[in-house]
Amino acid sequence: MTLAAAFLVAGSPLPYLRKGNPPWAQLTAGYKAAARSLAAARPDVILLYSTQWIAVLDELWQTRQRVSGVHVDENWYEYGDLSYDLKIDTALAEACVAKANVLGIQSKGVDYDAFPIDTGTIVANGFLNPDGAFPLVLAANNVYHDFEATRRIASLAAETAEMQGKRYAVVGVGGLSGTIFRDEINIAEDRLASSEDDKWNRRILDLMEKGETRQVEDLCSEYAGAAKVDMGFKHLAWVLGATGGQYKGARIHGYGPTYGAGAAVIEFKF
Amino acid sequence: MANGEILAGFLAPHPPHLVYGENPPQNEPESEGGWEPLRWAYEHARESLDRLKPDVLLVHSPHWMTQLGHHFLGVPKLSGKSVDPIFPNLFRYSFGLDVDVELAEACCEKAKAKGLVAKMMRNPKFRVDYGTITTLHMIRPQWDIPVVGISANNSPYYLTTKEGLQEMDLLGKATHEAIKQTGRRAVLLASNTLSHLHFSEEPALPEDMSREHPFSHEGYRWDMRFIELLRQGKMDEAFEILPQFIDEAHAEVKSGAFTWMFAAMGYPKMAGKLHGYGTVIGTGNAVMEWNLQEALTSPAQAAL
Repeated sequence: MTLAAAFLVAGSPLPYLRKGNPPWAQLTAGYKAAARSLAAARPDVILLYSTQWIAVLDELWQTRQRVSGVHVDENWYEYGDLSYDLKIDTALAEACVAKANVLGIQSKGVDYDAFPIDTGTIVANGFLNPDGAFPLVLAANNVYHDFEATRRIASLAAETAEMQGKRYAVVGVGGLSGTIFRDEINIAEDRLASSEDDKWNRRILDLMEKGETRQVEDLCSEYAGAAKVDMGFKHLAWVLGATGGQYKGARIHGYGPTYGAGAAVIEFKF
Repeated sequence: MANGEILAGFLAPHPPHLVYGENPPQNEPESEGGWEPLRWAYEHARESLDRLKPDVLLVHSPHWMTQLGHHFLGVPKLSGKSVDPIFPNLFRYSFGLDVDVELAEACCEKAKAKGLVAKMMRNPKFRVDYGTITTLHMIRPQWDIPVVGISANNSPYYLTTKEGLQEMDLLGKATHEAIKQTGRRAVLLASNTLSHLHFSEEPALPEDMSREHPFSHEGYRWDMRFIELLRQGKMDEAFEILPQFIDEAHAEVKSGAFTWMFAAMGYPKMAGKLHGYGTVIGTGNAVMEWNLQEALTSPAQAAL
């Protein structure tokens, strides 16, 4: 096993674009701690899956060697621009495409100038890999892939990295509970929009901390439905699939609201 | 006092395959064609739009989905290369559009006055969504008419379909008031597909029409039932079955553009003109027109 590290992180641009906002301080501090762990783990590559890179036909993988530009979030454009400069491990990404197709998961590489990189990918990479020290493999969230399919795709990505002899870090990017404030709020007073969501989030985080992998998996579907979890919590499926699912515990580096929704920065222990 | 009017509304779906099939100079990928019946339908719609000579096109797109309220493009000029994140192999389109900011601001204010959360998008680097661009290209490839771009708030998905469409109804009424106040001669574009279940894998040659057909018999039957009501001007029935259509055919009209457009037009009980119907990766797409100008002079429409 050449797993270097694994994280589940938030993809909202708000803490990234307003790092000084007090309700988001836990998340930004958590991200900084996670970045230190990642740097210490010195992976050869990061296998990253963001719920915000949506696909509907086939599984898409970024295969352009360098992707740079400025993205403006379609919801939070008034908070500023998201610059990015991503280095892609194209050899691994192309191998993932090939392997996925062999396994019956129709896949395609994406190698286009001006391809729109999603907010979650930019935020996670910007926080965790700010200098671009570690190349990336980016896989899309095909909305018709369920939890198990996502897990299989992550697993094949990890196996392919191993075949190439690479130490890999795994990053699943997405939110926790999804209830948001639907009226404008003072962001300095942001909080979880639903106390029930907050309880659910804390319950799941607590189980992760204790390494109760089976309980977390058993509760995933119920949690996703009850707390409107981002994309059915498929970003966890990505982490589980790429790590074999047997973490011994987790460190919650940060937990907090993003306009009422739940978000966390989690590092898994193996 | 200004007295603007809505000249017409179009159901104007946005599969980027239609742009790809047409091979306009703005789009990088080249095709052998494909989806001709739908593209020919848009040719008729373009001719009709040309005769209407509107001051502005308003487009409501499900691919600018917003969480916090209803948003309006608020930058006078927007340009760039739009690469479809879902179909990047088909759609890499260089665009430039002029925004009617005055009308957009009026729409925004009227929406707020009706209790909706509404915002102006002022960031000049904003990437206009491919739904907006595809619909605008297909209806007016010259890009010589100013635009108001409106987001699809996620309320029909986040709340219930009924609650969400109630918001779209208010948004439509606000749009009507803003058009009237600003004196614009406007055309509305509802950028929506009908039945929306689709294939999950793409043929090696995307324009291979031997692979194109309705995703399901049920979806096709639903589309025909709905279109027939629209063709007959039975709008009360159409809106009565709309929630069932949305649920059973996963119709994209759930995102609100169709309801927004009809609310803005005052729910006219007039027959829609079907320019054409076709499927794209299995989804059902109709190009339809409700020409309020013609209705004023048509005894047949007046009798409905």
